[in-house]
Amino acid sequence: MAVITDDLVLPSRRFSLATAIRRNPTIAFGAVLLAALIIVGIFAPYIATHDPFKLSPINRLKPPSERWWFGTDQFGRDVFSRTVYGARVSLIVGLSVALFSSAVGLGLGLLCGYFRKVDGIVMRIMDGLMAIPSILLAIALITLSRPSLGIVILAIVIPEVPRIVRVVRSVVLSIRSQPYIESAIAGGTKNTKLLLRHVLPNTLAPLIVQSTYVCAAGMLIEASLSFLGAGVPPEVPSWGNIIAQGRTFFQIAPWTILIPGVFLAITVLAVNLLGDGLRDRLDPRLARRL
Amino acid sequence: MSANILEVRDLQTQFNTLDGVVRAVDGVSFDLARGETLGIVGESGCGKSVTALSILRLIPPETGRIAAGSIKFEGEELTTLGEEEMKRLRGHRISMIFQEPMTSLNPVLTVGTQIAENVVRHMGVPWRAARERACEMLDLVRIADARRRLDEYPHQLSGGMRQRVMIAMALSCDPQVLIADEPTTALDVTIQAQILQLMLELKEKTGTAIVLITHDLGVVAETTERVVVMYAGRKVEEAPVEALFTEPLHPYTRGLMRAIPRLDIEADAAGTRPRLQEIPGLVPRLTQPIPGCAFAPRCGFATGRCAVESPPLLDVGAGHTVACWEVDRVRASAL
Amino acid sequence: MTAYIVRRLFATLPVMAVVALFVFFLLRFAPGDPAAIIAGEDATAEAIAAVRGKLGLDRPMVEQFFVWILQLAQGDMGVSIFSNLAVTRLISQRLEPTVALTLSTLFVAVALAIPVGVVAAWKARKLVDRLVMGFAVLGFAMPGFVLAYILIYFFAVQWQLLPVQGYRPIGEGLWPFVECLILPSVALGVTYMALIARITRASMLEVLAQDYIRTANAKGLATDRVLLLLALKNAAVPIITVIGIGIALLISGVVITETVFNIPGLGRLTVVAVLKRDYPVVQGLILVFAAAKVLVNLIIDISYAFLDPRIRY
Repeated sequence: MAVITDDLVLPSRRFSLATAIRRNPTIAFGAVLLAALIIVGIFAPYIATHDPFKLSPINRLKPPSERWWFGTDQFGRDVFSRTVYGARVSLIVGLSVALFSSAVGLGLGLLCGYFRKVDGIVMRIMDGLMAIPSILLAIALITLSRPSLGIVILAIVIPEVPRIVRVVRSVVLSIRSQPYIESAIAGGTKNTKLLLRHVLPNTLAPLIVQSTYVCAAGMLIEASLSFLGAGVPPEVPSWGNIIAQGRTFFQIAPWTILIPGVFLAITVLAVNLLGDGLRDRLDPRLARRL
Repeated sequence: MSANILEVRDLQTQFNTLDGVVRAVDGVSFDLARGETLGIVGESGCGKSVTALSILRLIPPETGRIAAGSIKFEGEELTTLGEEEMKRLRGHRISMIFQEPMTSLNPVLTVGTQIAENVVRHMGVPWRAARERACEMLDLVRIADARRRLDEYPHQLSGGMRQRVMIAMALSCDPQVLIADEPTTALDVTIQAQILQLMLELKEKTGTAIVLITHDLGVVAETTERVVVMYAGRKVEEAPVEALFTEPLHPYTRGLMRAIPRLDIEADAAGTRPRLQEIPGLVPRLTQPIPGCAFAPRCGFATGRCAVESPPLLDVGAGHTVACWEVDRVRASAL
Repeated sequence: MTAYIVRRLFATLPVMAVVALFVFFLLRFAPGDPAAIIAGEDATAEAIAAVRGKLGLDRPMVEQFFVWILQLAQGDMGVSIFSNLAVTRLISQRLEPTVALTLSTLFVAVALAIPVGVVAAWKARKLVDRLVMGFAVLGFAMPGFVLAYILIYFFAVQWQLLPVQGYRPIGEGLWPFVECLILPSVALGVTYMALIARITRASMLEVLAQDYIRTANAKGLATDRVLLLLALKNAAVPIITVIGIGIALLISGVVITETVFNIPGLGRLTVVAVLKRDYPVVQGLILVFAAAKVLVNLIIDISYAFLDPRIRY
């Protein structure tokens, strides 16, 4: 019953930063958090107070202090500096996963929604991939090669692609049945032109929203894989790796786990909030459902 | 015991929207006698449905409220009644039927359950007896094979059948007042006539007073005894049904009548009938207080006074009242 | 009804076929000679040849695939490279902790999240609602293993209320069994709960705005409680769907949660097998997990028919 008021809000077409923030505080909040993390990632060498790789056995497992803001790990490495560098890994993984899976998913989704013959085969494969829990699929793929950042990204992209394909395909199918598309087909418009001119633009909003969620999922899966020891090589200071290496000494040095863990949670939160905000703005139909 | 079962006085119902406060009902009064059928007519947005919802106090509290006025049912004030007492009243002594028979029934419950739960709730009888009552009610609204239908779901019934179920449900606890909000609008014309006929027959049997809310003057002419005409949240005219149709006195009522096709006027030599006339202009926005007559901007009779001073209800005799400054000029002009 | 179930059952076949194909090729695409991988690191040339012969690796790919499927159908998932035990045996040994953890999480999450979502919808836009939604957004972003360590830190290390890690079979008594499952279930279930609470709130709000709820109101149906229960039945389909989708989250989460809490279940087995490149075990586990997920989807599909009379079967 409380929903009634929502329908009375008419979005204005002109964009203004102030009203955008007021209407969509979640976008603003998520965007600011994310921007801060990107800055931290880019300027990691200037922000880090120590060399994140430098071992210093005398200073092992020091609690947070003025010298080591977030303490040190069992090899005496500075957790603050490692966490700052970890932002880089997470952002690179998150953004590449979002980018690659959107690109592949968009292509396959357009093909599936548009050409019925392709649809049957590709969707069966997608259903099969989706039947395998994503972390399981990712670690299985990782066993096929030596661990490296690229392989990890690829192994995360493959389980995420079906999700994008489904979203894009459903949009294409609903657009296809619109009268203006049918009339364009009847008028003999070429397939490629139809796809690019009429179908593609309609898929963009849901695609952007979905890829934001995929970005967050990618970061989480990377951290999980690294935590399990099946992710990026152990010497790379990713948040998952820092946490994994802190496990043994968790009871005496909880900061090695809790601090990168909180950073990971905040990053994922920021991206999710951005996604929620974008969804409310770009895809109101979906927004009402959730 | 007063002759009137329901007395509405100066009812004002308002909604908060982003554009400001909407005065959906702005000072409406009417009475409903026992066993009477009263019609409330007007265009969509004139506040007739809100009036109905106000009587049952079903205005969503998040957005709207009854701002002023009094609603007396059997002499009892409803606007200040506690929510618990109100709940005991609803569906029991005052029932309501809604416009959309497609969506007003719960899709996941059987028809029998939906009628029976009302009976259990208000009559305090055991479930088995309530099912029997539900079956009787389905019989009463002439649904064939009632016992089998009890266990069917709404989607298995046609629109007309669903509205019959709604009526059965509304009448299941012998209410004194039945409020029917556009009960036939969503139905086919032939089904419409059947449903109206059914409602009238049931009224004869049970003595339930009916408030029939509609935008359809044809429906009003066939079914009601007395009519309230609403415009922009206000009552502009009230009259016994014959009086209203023989001598409508408000320019708005006249406009409505000219907008319905008539077969009783002879076609001219060329075989053409007079063109249907629409009322020029639009219903005013209700976010601003309207100082004068709400219909003035669209009215052919309007004078300077109409725009600034609200006309009082004028009693022209025989239960016929009208809110118009220029009623004499209107009466003198041809219909 | 039976026909509907049979039809749904057949619809799972292509999905499982794709999973089987993927699993089959996993070993074939693994770096190195599959026979050498299966035979183990210090296998002799004869041993490798024997494996090749047994698996038919010298025959055409298609034939290999059908031989493998035939073996699967007979319950033969191969033998672990490291322990030399049958994969089916390894899996059945590790099944109990995982099933216990998943079911307890499922139960706790559903029992908590649905009422919470209902209350949030009932008190929409009020403080309770905002708190619930805040929790949901947070819970959705919180990585299970980070939460697990936070929980361990407080409940096990600081306050010493619950064991840090480990698993006790139910045979050793109910409390030891439950005690060990509390923290893992919460850590595993938090994302799941957030998901269910969110969808419950959203579908309840949607249902509460429907005409038939207005009808129920006009009938003077007793209390808000009755109304909410009524509405919950209408909102059941999307909620059940999300509960089903979320099972996938649980299965993924089990792998991590079991590692954190040192629970000797299928998840732990998976991680060990992956790290050791024990392909037959990895293959078997993927098949089992995927089958579990497909089965859950099937159950959900069938439950729709009971929940919504409009769905034809």
